[in-house]
Amino acid sequence: MARKAALWILCVSGTLIATALVTAWMLVGGDRRMLLIGKTTDAHHQIETTCETCHAAAPFASAAAAAKALNKTCRNCHEDALQAAEDSHARKLFRSPRMAVYWEKLDARLCTACHVEHRPEITRPGAVTVAEDFCVACHSEGDQDVRKARPSHAGLTFDTCASAGCHNYHDNRAIYEDFLVSYAGRPWVASAPVHELAMRSRAQKPPAEAAGKRGAALAPATALAEQTALHDWAGSGHAAAAVNCAACHAPAAEGTSRAAVEAQWIATPDSAICEGCHKTPAQTFAQGRHGLRRHPSLAPPRDPSRRLEAIGLSGLLPKAAAAWLADLPPPMHMTVAEARLPMRPEAAGESLHCGTCHQPHAVNTERAAVEACASCHDGTHSRAYFGSAHHELWRAELAGQAPPGTGVSCATCHMAKAERGGKVVTSHNQNATLRPNEKMIRPVCLDCHGLGFAINALADADLVARNFQGKPSVQVESIEWAVRRTQETGN
Amino acid sequence: MQQRFRKPIKIALAAAMTMAAVGVAAEGVSYRQAADMLYLVMSSDRAVYARKVVQRLTRDEQLLTASEHFEDDSALPLPAQMFRFGAEMAADKTEDFSYSLLSLHPVNRKNGPGTDLEREGLQFVADHPGENFYGEEELGGERYFAAVYPDVAVAEACVNCHNNHKDSPRTDAEVGDVMGGVVIRIPMD
Repeated sequence: MARKAALWILCVSGTLIATALVTAWMLVGGDRRMLLIGKTTDAHHQIETTCETCHAAAPFASAAAAAKALNKTCRNCHEDALQAAEDSHARKLFRSPRMAVYWEKLDARLCTACHVEHRPEITRPGAVTVAEDFCVACHSEGDQDVRKARPSHAGLTFDTCASAGCHNYHDNRAIYEDFLVSYAGRPWVASAPVHELAMRSRAQKPPAEAAGKRGAALAPATALAEQTALHDWAGSGHAAAAVNCAACHAPAAEGTSRAAVEAQWIATPDSAICEGCHKTPAQTFAQGRHGLRRHPSLAPPRDPSRRLEAIGLSGLLPKAAAAWLADLPPPMHMTVAEARLPMRPEAAGESLHCGTCHQPHAVNTERAAVEACASCHDGTHSRAYFGSAHHELWRAELAGQAPPGTGVSCATCHMAKAERGGKVVTSHNQNATLRPNEKMIRPVCLDCHGLGFAINALADADLVARNFQGKPSVQVESIEWAVRRTQETGN
Repeated sequence: MQQRFRKPIKIALAAAMTMAAVGVAAEGVSYRQAADMLYLVMSSDRAVYARKVVQRLTRDEQLLTASEHFEDDSALPLPAQMFRFGAEMAADKTEDFSYSLLSLHPVNRKNGPGTDLEREGLQFVADHPGENFYGEEELGGERYFAAVYPDVAVAEACVNCHNNHKDSPRTDAEVGDVMGGVVIRIPMD
């Protein structure tokens, strides 16, 4: 009898302790990895333990409020990209009550209608968790029946809408009908292909006023003794723009005295120093996969005392317990070892910050555009780049055998350049052109290639894996159909 | 149809867009009055954009063009697009009211009638020039007051675009015709 009672006490106590621990992990603080309910999608896995970044509802909120808060957090990070994509199915288009009939079919007001996190068993590329023929929900009946409106589509199945290079749910900037027509008939490659923004970027010079400030390289003697660093810096764009040692190593003392510089010297400045001047690259870096952990919308580590206060239990936690429960600050940088793509094993110890690719003293953008990528990335597509036509063009440009802007590096496609306020800037957000890959057509491919070739090439997965060595074996008929319909309607 | 707003927030929505413009006290505004005031503001803004911006810069001064693909063409948005962008932005910010530009002969099929009331209202304003249509309907489990106002082709450019667009089901429109209607909805609960 006594043994039975003891077992009961043990069982109840254990349950209570386990419940208390799980509750504390969920609501107060501590390592929450064991609470993850399923493998997180790529990129999101970098921030999977900052749960509040996505699960932003107040404790014990209703299911509806939690869903609303969750969807709001999606927009915190992704809204800018969707606006830039001129989102074909923007949330705002479905909020009018006249769209209520569609809410039951596929509620496009909610990101989570198609993108459910922690469900690896049903997650497709693009973090999509609905079936491939999801378009059937709204485009197969009544006035929206695409098979009636477009005779060319009569025999098509709905699993081909968004998988054959013809349509995307969000971003159709390069494949909408009138755009297809306006770019029809162009040759597969231009007669003198050049990336105009890359060409202009190379022509951008340091400001003229910088010339008078050069040479004031104040630094401790030990730092100046590092000949390689000094040599690299002397040939860099930083030196040309009069960005001297103190600008990065002792910014608070820049322009004062050698003593002040030595007193405030920082041996290894972090990326925050770079961000002070390179605002656009830093901003876009944090929007991409390399710098996601620096995104401004990420939830900060939890403060156990404040969390207890939020659930009405303020003042209960001793300082020692609070310190034990406190969240560990998430690492500032993604490490190569955490990547889910194939990476070189020798790069596993690298972490991703500005200096990883740019070499802080040489600031070599040419190295950053190819060699830096290949020092980590080791997938089929990455390996196939070397020896490809694009690579040969890049080598020729670097060797001075071809005009500026004619080479194609990794960064040409994955860190596309853009113009802001008359200045050429490099986006460090790979997502901007990554998936669906038709996003790459307008800012990158069309500089040199015809639209038809670009659509076919990007729809050919094997060709993409071979890094475009060869010609597309896929023939997407969208341009032909668009031209034919335009001719038939006479407009 | 003289239902009254029951919640201050409903009154505020009408007031926010219209009080300054028409000098009406919000207290006691009926759904119909609120819809009429909203329509007055949005139709006035649209007319000003069409005349003072599009017509002046395209036809009179010939400095720019107006185009459906205005970003790709570095052109001005069409007045109807401008109107829709406003409707979308309002829908993104509030559920206290919504509005749409619809037609029985839409260039884009998604702008055709989607509910029985829209179909009835658009037909009514087409058959009764100069009159509006008012009614109620239930959508998504909520009851709405709805008003439909005729949208008349006021310029040659309007009918030319509609008559010649490859997606337009109607090719015989003339200036002065009712091309469709503006539908305004206000939740009643």
